Amino acid sequence: MSFFNALIPAFNGAAPEGDVIPTRRPQYHVAETDAAYSLTVNLPGVAKDGLEVTDENGELRITGKRALPLPDNVAVLHRESSDALFELVLTHDNTIDSEKIDAELKDGVLRLTLAKAESAKPRKISIS
Amino acid sequence: MRFIKYTNPDAPSVAPSARLGGRFYGRTDIENEIDWLFGAALSGIAGSALGGQFPVDLYEDKDNTYVRAELPGVTRDAISVEIVDGSLSIQASRKDKSGEGENTVSFNRLVSIPDDVQADKVSAAYENGILTVTLPRTEKSKPKKISVTVN
Repeated sequence: MSFFNALIPAFNGAAPEGDVIPTRRPQYHVAETDAAYSLTVNLPGVAKDGLEVTDENGELRITGKRALPLPDNVAVLHRESSDALFELVLTHDNTIDSEKIDAELKDGVLRLTLAKAESAKPRKISIS
Repeated sequence: MRFIKYTNPDAPSVAPSARLGGRFYGRTDIENEIDWLFGAALSGIAGSALGGQFPVDLYEDKDNTYVRAELPGVTRDAISVEIVDGSLSIQASRKDKSGEGENTVSFNRLVSIPDDVQADKVSAAYENGILTVTLPRTEKSKPKKISVTVN
């Protein structure tokens, strides 16, 4: 059921995640190379000051607040998007190096390059 | 971005349009949702995002109608906004470099807009992944106060 809820945007905005502030998970995509993970997150309407990325206890947390430009006193005719906060939590169990996270926010898309921790990179083991 | 207005009398209308009080509403919400589901299912969720669909909001105040679309990460030159016979057509495309290759996702949507739009004064802005199209209303349709004296 939650799979369909995630597909239908009208339900996305209205379903709170258990806490008081409704949040919704943004669309994201993870790709992996030998040295790093690259994470792309769609955050339309989020500017740099509304974005927060933290890495704590093996959990990468991205929260985004939308700043939507509209004049006052507008009447709503039709709404498909939602004003809920974006929140994305990914656990990585310390396989990434927190010191070397590189982030870029452009046109509502956040691109993170997460360098893998040394222990997680593939290592050759030599046999004597 | 470029703006083009042309009328196409032979084109069938996109949806059975039931105009509420002369204003708005082409498709019902349930038709939009089902289109969305099909779009998402047929083109895959991960990576190619929304299957060409994106959320659109409509607002109005006494001077303008506003159409706001969520289009994160699209290239500005690839955004094309046209007015076609009572509807606004929004097209955009986005290039994603994801590791091995580059794939292009394109978005396309036709939104019904009210009749009272000054087509030559339409403007659009794209910021933080949100495209906002401002459609000024024609003078004669703006709400006017009529003062009535009562004897």
